Amino acid sequence: MSRFIRVLATIFFVLIFSCAASFAAETIRIGVQAPTTGKYANEGQGIDNGVRLIAEQVNADGGILGKKIEVFTCDDEGTAMKAAICAKDLVNKDVLAVIGSYTSTCAEAAQSTYYRAGVLQTTDGTADSLTEHGYWTFFRNSFPNSAEGTYTADYFVNVKEYERIAIISDFSSFANGLANSVEENVEELGGNIVYRGKIKAGNQNYTPVLTRVKSKNPDVIYFSGYYPEGGLLREQQAKLGIQADFVGGNSCDNPDFIELAGDSVEGAYLINVPTPTMLPYDLAENFLEDYRAEYDENPPSIWTLLNIDGMRAILHAMEETGTTDTKKVAEYLHNDLEDFQGLTGPVNFAENGNRIGSAHQTYEVQADGEYKIVYPKVD
Amino acid sequence: MKFTDKKSIGYIVFITALLIYPGFADSRWLAVGSTFLIFSVVGLSEDIILGKGGMFNMGHALFFGMGAYTAAILNKFFGMPILYTTPFAIIVPAIFAILLAGPIIHLRGDYLLVSTIGLNIVFIQLVQNDLFGITGGPNGIFGLDIPQVLGIDLGSPTAVYYTGVFVLFLTFLIMTNLDRSKPGRALHYFRLDDLAAKSIGINTSAYRLFAFALGAGIAGLGGVLFAIQYSAVSPEAFNFMQSVLFFSIVLVGGSSIPGILIGTFVMFVLPEIFRDFATWRYFIFGFAMILAMVLRPEGILPAKFGKIPAYMKKE
Amino acid sequence: MDTFFQQLVNGLTIGSIFALVALGYTMVYGIMKLINFAHGDLVAMAAFVGLTIYDRFLGPDTNSFVSLILIFISTGIIIAFAGILLERIAYKPLRTAPRLSAVVSALGASLVIQNGIMLIWGPRMRFFPTDILPSTTWNIGGIHVSFIQLSILFLSVIIMAGLIFFIDKTRVGTAIRATSLDHDASKLMGINVNNIITLVFIIGTFLGAIGGLFIGLYYKGITFNMGWNYGLYAFVAAIIGGIGNIPGAMVGGLLLGVFKALIAGYVSSVWADALTFALLISILVVRPTGIMGERVAEKV
Repeated sequence: MSRFIRVLATIFFVLIFSCAASFAAETIRIGVQAPTTGKYANEGQGIDNGVRLIAEQVNADGGILGKKIEVFTCDDEGTAMKAAICAKDLVNKDVLAVIGSYTSTCAEAAQSTYYRAGVLQTTDGTADSLTEHGYWTFFRNSFPNSAEGTYTADYFVNVKEYERIAIISDFSSFANGLANSVEENVEELGGNIVYRGKIKAGNQNYTPVLTRVKSKNPDVIYFSGYYPEGGLLREQQAKLGIQADFVGGNSCDNPDFIELAGDSVEGAYLINVPTPTMLPYDLAENFLEDYRAEYDENPPSIWTLLNIDGMRAILHAMEETGTTDTKKVAEYLHNDLEDFQGLTGPVNFAENGNRIGSAHQTYEVQADGEYKIVYPKVD
Repeated sequence: MKFTDKKSIGYIVFITALLIYPGFADSRWLAVGSTFLIFSVVGLSEDIILGKGGMFNMGHALFFGMGAYTAAILNKFFGMPILYTTPFAIIVPAIFAILLAGPIIHLRGDYLLVSTIGLNIVFIQLVQNDLFGITGGPNGIFGLDIPQVLGIDLGSPTAVYYTGVFVLFLTFLIMTNLDRSKPGRALHYFRLDDLAAKSIGINTSAYRLFAFALGAGIAGLGGVLFAIQYSAVSPEAFNFMQSVLFFSIVLVGGSSIPGILIGTFVMFVLPEIFRDFATWRYFIFGFAMILAMVLRPEGILPAKFGKIPAYMKKE
Repeated sequence: MDTFFQQLVNGLTIGSIFALVALGYTMVYGIMKLINFAHGDLVAMAAFVGLTIYDRFLGPDTNSFVSLILIFISTGIIIAFAGILLERIAYKPLRTAPRLSAVVSALGASLVIQNGIMLIWGPRMRFFPTDILPSTTWNIGGIHVSFIQLSILFLSVIIMAGLIFFIDKTRVGTAIRATSLDHDASKLMGINVNNIITLVFIIGTFLGAIGGLFIGLYYKGITFNMGWNYGLYAFVAAIIGGIGNIPGAMVGGLLLGVFKALIAGYVSSVWADALTFALLISILVVRPTGIMGERVAEKV
């Protein structure tokens, strides 16, 4: 018996040391904090897939600073509590940078842990509060709600000159924040909001709210939430015979929006940063091709690509500075990064970690599901 | 109590393990450990209502959340040091338990269950809609001010952990005293036979409310700890699914102190351990729940009949 | 007034889906005193199975009417089979156990089915093709009614009427009612209780499967986790009507659908859920066993 235990103990120690050995082999450790199960499983798995794809490609080219990239994924399930645990887990694994999470709430719950450990974090979360803490480790790879709010309000009031605006959001902090931002900016510009309501994501039946909206007789219905609701809203709007324009915010921009809206998709407007498939960026096209080759499907949405840009910018900064010292990498990202070519357009970071610039555009969806840029006018 | 019997040895081993655990755990497992302690406390408080009181409460996260939100709001908007918020975080849920449970306490079994689910959903919608502008909306409240006490950073993982151990022991004390007290015995009787209890003059409604208030108060205390650990509160940490977790902890573990601890371990720690299964995790976990109930329908460690004091057992 | 009738029509459509799903809850509860929390996930699974059958075996070339009937029947059979399996694995061993043990087992089963759907069909939303049913919409005096809405309403009424007839007028129906009252006495009367329970699961899940397919056809997009949402509302509908009471589940479902529509339409969409559950609790406070009263024997 004691012999058996000794054998077990030996195996155990060999395992431990082999783990330690792999530790010693220098790699660059990148964490992914994303909801790979639960409600946002789709988006979470997209981010995870994308990061692993890039890591593979970089490794095939010889890695960064001669070191291979190793990816660690932690599933935060889209909840703040698990996000806080994930943050600690990834810090323990000695990652240098974390990509994610998908939702603002999870990114915010993990933020302070990464800051204390000096781990870089790049997320697509758009909530304005993310950059209010002044953490030097934080980089937003998307554009904040306030930028889109300003753009949308200007488009409504000054360009389209809508007189009766209806705004709908869901209960998420992102959609709510965006809707509030649009509302504030519209009011500032003297626009007239006739309705502001919320729908519960996942309910699928939004005719009660839409029927109510119909009685307010708006010229535009703006929805700030996600595509599953956006597509259904557009479809149910058409079925109810409401004549108003439909404008969806950035998270409506998803192939599923078009599927869900069906025949009624024609004439719907979407506001977002340029989508990769629409842009003359070869980089984005190549990435999409590789992604399809690897996973047999398109990335779930633009958010995957934004996160990839965050990751690429960080890797680029490591190469440029020739170090993995996160403090120096962050300094480079803040001060020296200039128009780094990303999948989603040039990448620049402000002092507070915000991505600079707002390249928002308005698209009109055509009958065949293609987009046509309607504003700003392209000649 | 003799200190040589099996049970005492079990407790001593458990307590020692609890006390030395931080020496071995890295920061992630320390966080899991602290949350385990908090969920055990809340699981025990759910046991007072569900296990001892026999009332089907599937909205317990409401009281847990109310405690956490009370602490967070007082801290963030009124600048009250987080430890001083504790009495409020216990009293507020307890009062609300009486107010909310009062009208529905007479409902039988499953009707009570669906009503408590309803209360939980109403609570979540209230905090999500940023009630009175102080609940932080769908994001919750972040960045609570966690102070230093006697030179120890209260928010440090180790401090949270040992506070959790302290609160868990406190809860043990309450639970064992409850078993021996008059309300504890009354709860035991009317769970066994409501009608008989009533006819020998036990005011069942009053004791039911007492159980609800006590359970809610302890859950609120757990909420304060939770707010300290994450220095944040957010709605989805207290939603209906969380109530389902507490409900399952009591039933999977069984209505006894070691049972609840095992239940919390199975329902919360195991999924953490099996993270490597990634997307398969909850699929397997679901089967484990079915298996646990099929093999041990009364829970893994059910309460032994007659956990009432020996002198009561002799006729 | 237009607005009101429009809300009514829409509320009734979603309400009849709730009612179909609620019937599964209420029938199982009636016979086993068990809240079958996995029912909603079977409903979601039905939508996925139906879509797969259409994609794999039928496709857009077949006559849409024939393929629809085939989809409904084959999906119903598959889901009913899954229902039987569920009962055998998760509930049958617990028939004599404390009631709440089976509830936890049901919660576990719900996790298994939900994550099973995700593992098989993936986490992304899937879509029912738009061309199965004509997308005709009529405008009747300012009220817009679509073909699919009318079909859902019409079919639900027929199915429910058939069910009531079956339960009230046939021998098997009588056996079902007898079994819900008292398992042991029914056994003494020569009823095979196990077969009756299996039959109830078949009927309940079959109706749920129809509900799931309606959801797919009406809203097009289906996700692996949509079962919880529909399950919860259907469960609430069953409770409102008085659980165990079959006409009660129908009334409860329709009422819930209309109520939700009116709340969001006339009061506030922001508080729709809170008000729905506040109403539920007030109904229970006033009528502790639902509007129509329950038809369950007290388990003693």
